[in-house]
Amino acid sequence: MKFQADLGVNFCGIRFGNPFCLSSSPVGNHAEMCARAYDAGWGGIVYKTLGLEKSFKVIMPSPRLSVYNYGDKRFIGLQNAEQITDRPIRENIRDIAWLKKHYPHKVLISSIMGYVDEDWIELAKMSEDAGADMLELNFSCPQMAHKSAGHRVGQDFLAVAAFTEVVKKASKLPVMAKMTPNITNMVPVALAAKQGGADAISAINTIKAITDIDIENFTPLPNIHGHSSATGFSGPSVKPVAMRFVSDLYNSKPLGLPISAVGGIETWIDALHFLLLGATNLQVTTGILRYGYRIVEDMIEGLSDYMLERNIKSLNEIIGKSSRKIVDPSEFVTRFQVVSVIDDAKCIGCGQCYISCQDGANQAVKFDTLTRKASVDEERCIGCLLCKHVCPVWDCISINLNFHFYIHFHSISRKLRSKN
Amino acid sequence: MKLPVNPEKIVQFKGMREPLSLQAVIKESNRCLLCFDAPCSEGCPAGTDPAKFIRQIKFYNYKGAARTIRNNNILGSVCAFVCPVEKLCEKKCSIKALEDPINISGLQRFASEYGQRFEIEPPAQSLKSEGRIAIIGGGPAGMGCASALAKMDYEVTVFERENLTGGVPRWNIPGFRLPEEALVYDVKNLISQGVEIRHKSPVETPEAVTNLLAEGYDSVFISSGLSVAFKLDMLNGYSNVTDYITFLRKVKFGNESLNLKNKNVAIIGGGSVAIDSAVSAKACGANKVYLISLEHLSELPADKEEINLARIMDIIFKSGSQITGVVENENGLSGLTGIETDWIEPGKFIPLNARQISGTEFRINIDLVVQAIGTKPGNEIMILAKGLKTIGKGIIEVNEDFETNIPGVFAGGDVVNGGATVVQAVGEGKKAAQSIDNFLKNRRTSK
Repeated sequence: MKFQADLGVNFCGIRFGNPFCLSSSPVGNHAEMCARAYDAGWGGIVYKTLGLEKSFKVIMPSPRLSVYNYGDKRFIGLQNAEQITDRPIRENIRDIAWLKKHYPHKVLISSIMGYVDEDWIELAKMSEDAGADMLELNFSCPQMAHKSAGHRVGQDFLAVAAFTEVVKKASKLPVMAKMTPNITNMVPVALAAKQGGADAISAINTIKAITDIDIENFTPLPNIHGHSSATGFSGPSVKPVAMRFVSDLYNSKPLGLPISAVGGIETWIDALHFLLLGATNLQVTTGILRYGYRIVEDMIEGLSDYMLERNIKSLNEIIGKSSRKIVDPSEFVTRFQVVSVIDDAKCIGCGQCYISCQDGANQAVKFDTLTRKASVDEERCIGCLLCKHVCPVWDCISINLNFHFYIHFHSISRKLRSKN
Repeated sequence: MKLPVNPEKIVQFKGMREPLSLQAVIKESNRCLLCFDAPCSEGCPAGTDPAKFIRQIKFYNYKGAARTIRNNNILGSVCAFVCPVEKLCEKKCSIKALEDPINISGLQRFASEYGQRFEIEPPAQSLKSEGRIAIIGGGPAGMGCASALAKMDYEVTVFERENLTGGVPRWNIPGFRLPEEALVYDVKNLISQGVEIRHKSPVETPEAVTNLLAEGYDSVFISSGLSVAFKLDMLNGYSNVTDYITFLRKVKFGNESLNLKNKNVAIIGGGSVAIDSAVSAKACGANKVYLISLEHLSELPADKEEINLARIMDIIFKSGSQITGVVENENGLSGLTGIETDWIEPGKFIPLNARQISGTEFRINIDLVVQAIGTKPGNEIMILAKGLKTIGKGIIEVNEDFETNIPGVFAGGDVVNGGATVVQAVGEGKKAAQSIDNFLKNRRTSK
């Protein structure tokens, strides 16, 4: 019996042992860190974005992080004001060369950011000479102190096309353009990158956001000596937005480029979601900031078991499987209406469904204060599922169609039941 | 998510549990399901409304939570420490179907202490007067009634026998269980409502209640509690035999601290006050402390928390046992003899139903015996008003509105229920206040 599915993917002609990569960020800051990431099992690394200090000297603000908390749940999103690398280019290039020498079978993608054509050319050539397998063009860092870099470039179609073209001419390496989500529609920018010759698109970079404010001194956080800024937001909170952009890119017929997905990946289920929406490659930072490189073990094992259980031989069989089910709301089939069904045996009598239905839906849930049981008036139920989503017992409320909202929870609990 | 008790603090008679940290408070309040028609609020005899104050805590409205507790329960700070929550609010907590109940007392304590620390405005004093009410006894029932009446614009005078307000929580609940500041704060709130408390004013002369009504009080509420402890005949006359009321008060307020070093103490009884006495004795340095009760361990009236506390303090449980005699020496009582017992008829926890098991006789060396086998009202109760109806061991008979057989005279708390919790007494006081208001309004309209 096989215990490990083949997680290998071919992305821009490069073979990845598994699709899991570090995204360009502090998690891939230098050789020693990257080596440990490779050892932990990551299939590839997008090295921390290189820049030329002669063009722009990066000085990091301090403190640079703030988190978004919800109730007792901390860190459901992370705000980061960190820019591209502040290490000298020589050291970084030396590190990349060392990594390729010691980990020849692992993929190393060099992320670069220039300010003028010459910068892009120089960085691309240096990376190629150092042995990088691929280039990622950082058109999307939302907190560069430089006025004509990062996401400002990523919002400018012409600049994206022009810089991509410059790099493609300078280097033989495959080129991936990293998109900013700080834009209404990502597809035109991706198309501009394609026009410039890009071989792939990575999305999303972080979302400009404000996570917190100190209500005593009115200073938003992180408080950088009395000021703050809307800077890059990442982590589980941004995953829904990232999924939307990845789906947009995959569903764009004129684009047709492979996608490396970034945004809130922590578990194999997150990873699977992005694969199903069309990503071939996956990148992670915030999950590592929070839990360390080790999380890749569970992503590999979990995704592998998922494939073995369903006899999926290659990830190619499932990539994009869900994206074609994403349609315009005008295409919905509205002939069917569903109603909620409450499992009496599982109802613990808290009445949250009742309160939410009363104040936020169609007053269809009834609550018997004597028996402390909720029930649904099918005549009134509009099948919105609010009750199901507020219920503290995840499998108590269902609908009268075979539909699952916590797909992993349900598939696991179904599996457990079948064992008994 | 209850914090463990700290035995070192018990020995110092200081709060045995640390307060929940803000982090723990946020975590705990976020576990709450915010039920509709919440069972926790249903389970509070005093109507403290935990569902509301937990919701307020969850939404960071800490002062609002403090106001809810204080406005609903004049002994809200005290109750946070002394309520047997597992039998009340936490009993039907919905989340018990999934995990541990919400630590309601911990959250109540947090909110109450937050209100104290950040000085929420004191409760308002009414300037109107709907009538004058006399309350006999400034314990939990009297305080609950006084507070509720003051809110309904009555002028209230509390006649308190002692020099301090509070009743049982003041005199008999040990410091490791209830820190003094909690009661002090609650009493301060009562006073700021405009309630007059006359200390050292016992009401115990014949016809005293009748006289109060004649003096112009529109109604009287009797909440004089239980002041006389039951005693076993065989233990009469020994200088080293006492009862829990005397013992706990001496431990708390004795001029010289009670030194029980290297002494063996026997507590007779299995209720909350027996455990408090046992733990107090141990905290005073006692060598061996025995808790002798007819009930077996699982049948003890004390709640699980208390039994656990006794275990932590190495109290020796002689449960399912009976005292059969006294061992004497030249100093008087020097030991007890006893025997293990069983119930003749299951589930009937009275001495007459106990059957001795031969061959299980035991003898223990004892330097002090504390009897904690129940209390009754003082004899003065029956003569406070002509014909005041009492039942059983002398407790006052009332109807469901806490009205006695004498019109205008109401009663509540231990003197009516025979001894229950602080929160129960507050609740009875509140309900009686409502009845008094109804009674006076009816009388006015019928005039």
